[in-house]
Amino acid sequence: MAFDPRRVNTGSTTPQTPPPPPPPPPESSTPPEMDSTTSQDESALDNWKLKFCTVCASNNNRSMEAHLRLSTAPTAFPVISFGTGSLVRLPGPSITQPNVYSFNTTSYNHMYEELHSKDERLYRSNGILNMLDRNRNLKWGPERFQDWVPGMPRLEHLSKGDKGAIGTEGGVVDVIITCEERCWDAVVDDLMNKGSSLNRPVHVFNVDIKDNHEEALVGGKAILDLANRLNNAAITQRQRHGTEGWANGSGPARQSFDELVPEILAEWQEKNPNLPALWTLAWL
Amino acid sequence: MAQPVDDVANQVVQLNAARKLVLGDAAFYPQIISGILPIVGPHARLELRRWGADFLAETFSSPMLPPVQKQQLAPNVLQSIQETLLLPETDSAVLQSLVQTVASLYPLLFRHIVNHPDDKQSWEKMNAIKQDILRRMDSFTCPVKICCVKFLQRVVQVQTSGLIADPRRPDQNETSLAIVPRAHAVLAIPHLEAEASGLLDRLLGVFQEETSDALLVNATLNCLAPLIRTRSTIANKIITTILDFYPAKHVHPPFTPTVRVSVKSMERTARALLINVIKKNPSHPLVGKMQVHIERLMQSRVEMTEDASRKRGFPVEPTDGLDNAKRVRLDAVAPPLLQIPPMAPGPASFDKLFTLTQDIGLSSFDVKQLPSDLVVKIAVPLLAQVNQSMLTQAVDAIRNRYETVTKEQNLARQQQQQQQHPAVDDDDDYEPEYQPMDVPESGPEEADAVAPEVPEVQPDLVSLGSFVLPQPPPLSEEEAAEVGRSAVSRVFSMINAAETEPSTKNKSQQQLGFSRLAGSNFDREAWVLLLTRLATRAPAGLESGDKLGKGQVGKRSPMISDSIRETLYRYILEDFRGRLSIGMTWLNEEWYNDRIQMSTAASRRDDGEESEINVQSHYDTWVLRLLDGILPYLDSRDIKVIVRFLSEIPEVTVHITQRVASLAKDPERVNLCVQALMYLIMFRPPAREMCLNTLEDVYQTYEESRPAAGKVLAKWRPQQTQPTEQANGATESAPPAAAQDTTTSTPAE
Repeated sequence: MAFDPRRVNTGSTTPQTPPPPPPPPPESSTPPEMDSTTSQDESALDNWKLKFCTVCASNNNRSMEAHLRLSTAPTAFPVISFGTGSLVRLPGPSITQPNVYSFNTTSYNHMYEELHSKDERLYRSNGILNMLDRNRNLKWGPERFQDWVPGMPRLEHLSKGDKGAIGTEGGVVDVIITCEERCWDAVVDDLMNKGSSLNRPVHVFNVDIKDNHEEALVGGKAILDLANRLNNAAITQRQRHGTEGWANGSGPARQSFDELVPEILAEWQEKNPNLPALWTLAWL
Repeated sequence: MAQPVDDVANQVVQLNAARKLVLGDAAFYPQIISGILPIVGPHARLELRRWGADFLAETFSSPMLPPVQKQQLAPNVLQSIQETLLLPETDSAVLQSLVQTVASLYPLLFRHIVNHPDDKQSWEKMNAIKQDILRRMDSFTCPVKICCVKFLQRVVQVQTSGLIADPRRPDQNETSLAIVPRAHAVLAIPHLEAEASGLLDRLLGVFQEETSDALLVNATLNCLAPLIRTRSTIANKIITTILDFYPAKHVHPPFTPTVRVSVKSMERTARALLINVIKKNPSHPLVGKMQVHIERLMQSRVEMTEDASRKRGFPVEPTDGLDNAKRVRLDAVAPPLLQIPPMAPGPASFDKLFTLTQDIGLSSFDVKQLPSDLVVKIAVPLLAQVNQSMLTQAVDAIRNRYETVTKEQNLARQQQQQQQHPAVDDDDDYEPEYQPMDVPESGPEEADAVAPEVPEVQPDLVSLGSFVLPQPPPLSEEEAAEVGRSAVSRVFSMINAAETEPSTKNKSQQQLGFSRLAGSNFDREAWVLLLTRLATRAPAGLESGDKLGKGQVGKRSPMISDSIRETLYRYILEDFRGRLSIGMTWLNEEWYNDRIQMSTAASRRDDGEESEINVQSHYDTWVLRLLDGILPYLDSRDIKVIVRFLSEIPEVTVHITQRVASLAKDPERVNLCVQALMYLIMFRPPAREMCLNTLEDVYQTYEESRPAAGKVLAKWRPQQTQPTEQANGATESAPPAAAQDTTTSTPAE
């Protein structure tokens, strides 16, 4: 696949998490998926994971970088992603002429082809084409958070080969991570408007990331770190069956995953002081 | 019950396949549910129970499965849930999913019972489950308790009256107490309503806990929006409870990062809920209070967490084109596009450069023909209506033209130089001298075109060598003084300029407190301080040499420091009520400087320097001058001004009190005088004796002062006044008591 120049200088600066493997080409992406379904057969008891949802304004840069990180991590989380804006806006030739697309009905591929034919040099140099190329290998197109119906099956995403689709067939997630406070506000507000008909709790985090390629890379890495911490805590809780397991633990180990969330976030925040975070427990 | 692991794994695979099937087509749900209930029942293995509970939760919340079918499935499932709960089930994950399922089932079953009053059995089962959950709620683990919060909210929502959208179509109406017929066989409205009210209190109880659990608070806040929106009878109660809730008050030290995360999250969630309510119903009677509460939450957050500084500042410029483009709502109002014609051909001129119109008549019109006042009349309203985007476009267009023109001219010049035609560019009437080295290249194309020439020309430009300005002639003393005065007058003009600016920085100053640095932010105060120090400290050492021949100094032109003092003096007198604070700053600086000078002089004397070192007390001179300047203008209501003056000056001398006493000459200002002295007596103990003496003088000299001054003296000098008082009462013109022998006192403050 196309070499992504933005990744050059980040490969060496990943102290906390092992660098995720480069996104596999779409042709070869089917075998790993097959693998994961067969491993599901072998150990159905062990491959439970938290389900994630990443959100930014246009579902293009920050949320998709995080989508990539989460879906291609060694743990390969189930992940879906959205934008909260009214339209997908990409930079155009000048500040007053952005490229505007509608959510849910435009594919990344379409955007890629259109911008490629418009001015390849410009959109190559500002990184838009590289970004869209990454995105079109991850999923079909940008989706709008406000149009998402939680609980609506997402089988078609699975059949389209979207990355992170395995595990999100049910259309529900355990954790939503937004990339901007505005988006967090929009998500929390929209969940209230949706009326929480599923009665299912969901942790909504915000990790404030500036909207540019470099910060998106840094932020994506930090989000993966947060996801790993959360997932480990959740799995630990799940492994304690019944009362016996409950009695064995002591102190913090006895706390449930949900109770640990503020603590996990605080620890994470200490480590990532430049990505101000926010959290709440909302309902799907 | 004890199945081998392989078997369980196989079953889970099969179950997953079944789940895929129903996700693809919801019509299979009834079949699958009845098929799996025996497999995942209460006595199955943990993995299967978990799977089953998850699946049930998913089934009854699925937007794909119509409510009618869910209602039909409900009774069977209820049986299984009840058995599982009663076992009792202890696994958190299973309980979580079961409570979620029950929360989804409750409105469905309620509706079912409304329509089928005969199915009493199902309702009893539901009730048993409900009571079981409510009873055990507090002993559940945290994740299950969170789900119980949602269940509570569901029950409250169902058992409170909602709106009947359309009485003719009962199917369309939302499930609420309002759809229950008055004489329902099973559902007793008053009973249900009372229960809901109690459960609401339990739900809101989380806001009254001594120590808040952020999880439960957030879970509650986030599920209240539908209740507020659809249940007007209880909306106000809920909102009032939230308005009384201050997250920061419900946590206790130590404020660990975890606690801070919790407080911030509760505050932000409460804010989100209130904003949601306001947005849905902008005419709500409590909107004002809610807005105040939102602001207070924001404030307390700043105080409590202090992590505002942690957030990165705004980028100096957009890091890519996206930032601003995204924030401006462009699709809403498309800015009108300005038609930019290419620049007129021929040699460039300012005229052509700035002409954007293509109208010949307009561009050849000579504006100078118009009288200037008419131009002003036209221009001002026009400027007020200038469209921002049009202006930007026009400016950009001119800039582009300018860059193009300069680039072309550069190129032409370079070519000329290459062709050995040095120096004179006679055809260039536009910018003869200017070498625009710093004009940025606008586009790579042009850059490429210019690039080959540049390296050859570059050395030529560099070899011009450095130009050194000749030393200026030395200033004469008068000139230096003149320059000094003009510098001072400029600083004064800065005070005036700063005065007119609104004082927006007050807030930040207050926050600085003791860590504030004098004159660090360039406001009025800073300039005043600069001036006073210029007058006092800066020339202090320089003057000391002249002190020897003081007589000659007087003849010479006034020293710069004195001229500043004179100016300051006049500046303060111009509006002494408003500028008294400047005076205070100044006098304090003077006094401090005098002290420093004295101590230096003393140490020099100790060092054995022969020369008589005379330290002039500027403070004494100027405090009296200022007071003398102010006193004639004080009227009888200016007590605040005089008291402020007397209280804030660093040292009160006998001369000052005498000046104050002179106020008593004016019968109208007698009280002013007495009150000012009384203030000093009460609140400036070092000057007390001195002031009492003065007051006695006043008492004895001016008859009008006796009623007021008598009271003060009676309190502070009873031994002296009482006899006089009595004498007064008898004769009205008794001679004054003997004056005190203390005539001067310098309070060491």
